[in-house]
Amino acid sequence: MTLFQDTAGDPRAQRASLADVLAWYGAVGDAAAGNPEGFALRKASVAVSLAEVANVDDADRDALFFAGLLHAVGAIGNAGCRAGADLSPRAVRTLRWDIPAQGARICAEISALPAACADLVRWQAECWDGTGFPDQLRWNGIPPLAQYLALADAFVRAGDPDEALTQVSMQSGRAFGPMHARAFTMWYHLSGGETEPRPVPLDALTPTEGAAAALLDAIADRIDEHTGVAGRHRRIAALAENVAQRLGFDATQLAALAIAARIFGAGEIAAERPEGEEFDPLARLGIEERARHAALAATFARPHAALREAGEIVAARAEWYDGTGKPRGLRHDAVPRAASVLGAAIAYAALDRAERIETAIGTQFDPHVVPALLEAGRAHA
Amino acid sequence: MIDLPERTRRISPSRLHEILLEHDAASVVDPFMGLPTHLNYLKRHGIAVHGGDLLEWFVRVGEGIVVNDLTILRDSEVAEIVEMLPGRIYSLDLFKAWEGVFFTEEQCVYLGVWYDNVRNLRSDGQTGLAILGLWRAFCYWLQKAQSPDDMQDIPPSELAWSYIRETEQWVTANVRRSTVRQADVLATIGAQQADALFLAPPARNSFRSADARIWMWEAWWQGNPYFTIEHAYRDSLLGARASDPPAYARALATIVANAENYPLLVVQTTESRLNEIEGIVRNARADVRVVAPHPYEIYVVATK
Repeated sequence: MTLFQDTAGDPRAQRASLADVLAWYGAVGDAAAGNPEGFALRKASVAVSLAEVANVDDADRDALFFAGLLHAVGAIGNAGCRAGADLSPRAVRTLRWDIPAQGARICAEISALPAACADLVRWQAECWDGTGFPDQLRWNGIPPLAQYLALADAFVRAGDPDEALTQVSMQSGRAFGPMHARAFTMWYHLSGGETEPRPVPLDALTPTEGAAAALLDAIADRIDEHTGVAGRHRRIAALAENVAQRLGFDATQLAALAIAARIFGAGEIAAERPEGEEFDPLARLGIEERARHAALAATFARPHAALREAGEIVAARAEWYDGTGKPRGLRHDAVPRAASVLGAAIAYAALDRAERIETAIGTQFDPHVVPALLEAGRAHA
Repeated sequence: MIDLPERTRRISPSRLHEILLEHDAASVVDPFMGLPTHLNYLKRHGIAVHGGDLLEWFVRVGEGIVVNDLTILRDSEVAEIVEMLPGRIYSLDLFKAWEGVFFTEEQCVYLGVWYDNVRNLRSDGQTGLAILGLWRAFCYWLQKAQSPDDMQDIPPSELAWSYIRETEQWVTANVRRSTVRQADVLATIGAQQADALFLAPPARNSFRSADARIWMWEAWWQGNPYFTIEHAYRDSLLGARASDPPAYARALATIVANAENYPLLVVQTTESRLNEIEGIVRNARADVRVVAPHPYEIYVVATK
């Protein structure tokens, strides 16, 4: 199935879809690592701005941007970033040292990215004096661009620009090379510490046909592994797609639903346990949690045009047919049909006995959806 | 002022780990280990590591972050390293030869104090950690001599304290035995058997242009400010006897030939030396591939 609008070979459209998926990936990575919303884009923008002041060439700046955007994707699947893991603070810290190297491996597998991107992600947390991670590189062994990324990280993390300037100058010769700290100071005085979010440099991407869809699948797999439900999105996507076809969805609706089935799991990235494990999927008790996960997943998707429609489907997946769902209490046909299908498919996949879903017809689920879901389930079995 | 050279090679332990994993290697020997932070990374990821080097301070640090599974330096123990202790007699003039040339009078006094204090620690592990932490303080001073306006003035004891205390985080266990030894390359290769041999051989005559931060710290550890690194390498396989290109190539070929029992051989090199190294490895191994992520970071990976 074609997940993203048929680009008819238009490379610009392919790049735009891929850029949206990458930016979404970066946002989910931030959530897994515990960074605030928008951290990755801000870090990428500051790093590129710094590189401009240092006269870095365009190609390297593009690689730097993507490295900033994807700086935390290694957190997805990292044992130290799993909420609810019973680990000592020391173990968590040590495990989190692997985030950059894991992120580098992920970036290296995305062939559409600039080649330099992966190693910038790998060395973004190295310190000039050799006390960084993962590789404990030191001095000029650390590429200057990776130092810009580290400076951008320190700047964004500090919150207050003046505080950031103080921290960077204190860390000159320790976390940062003196020449890089000097470059940061120059940038700070030239820019006043103000940086607008940069647009994704689309021309730096070299996607093949279907690259965005393949990447989305790969990310969904990683998210499922992180949240302890390996392979879940594949089962739910197959089920939801079958139901949607039975209900006569057109190609656009089908594509949006297919994307939604791949991105809804991102809402659970910081959850301590899988959604279906904590509460019966047909019980009202877990509705707040389901709605919270749905809202978070929608938040990740909404800023990106290629994922926006799917984000609205995900946002409404915890609505109930009888109007008692969350977050908006939509009723009957006001609940998007695709959201009903997705919500029912998620519940169905988590049930111990499939037939139990019939008990929720007319209350939790749309009466039109459940029979189609049962037929689809039987077909899959 | 001392010149701090640009580094001409890079070892990325995370990438080396990826290469080892590809070949199911669970143990590795590195006879040119240098500062063994890369072995510490591999140990943390479950690999049994065995390192060797000719410089003693590298080996001592290895005892702290490679061999040592448990011992750390607590606050009270760090306090006994970074400052003069009452009742102890110190050789405060030991590094006076460096005064005014590389360091201030106060820094030279501290080098003497630290020299004495690390020798009174309770275990090899603690000594290794202290040497590593103090070396970072020493590097900070040298760097600050180059960029005096860009770096903070930090009191020596405070700087040393923070670096030594930080070494705790590198202490790790992986339920495998890891070792380090002070020995020439062939002795290390012969003393251990492992799934992989990792070689990062020094360039020909590289001891003549060694980084000051490396040889000066050996001089500190030896308590001899006049120490030269040529002295340490004089009788080694890649020392003065290998100063001309044919002799150097023969020495490398000898090392590779002695590595025949290792199923996997990984040689780290740079673009400028790749042809020479690759040729030597291809003469000894049937299956050779080159992993070249950067001009200064190239791995020649050879299997039987």
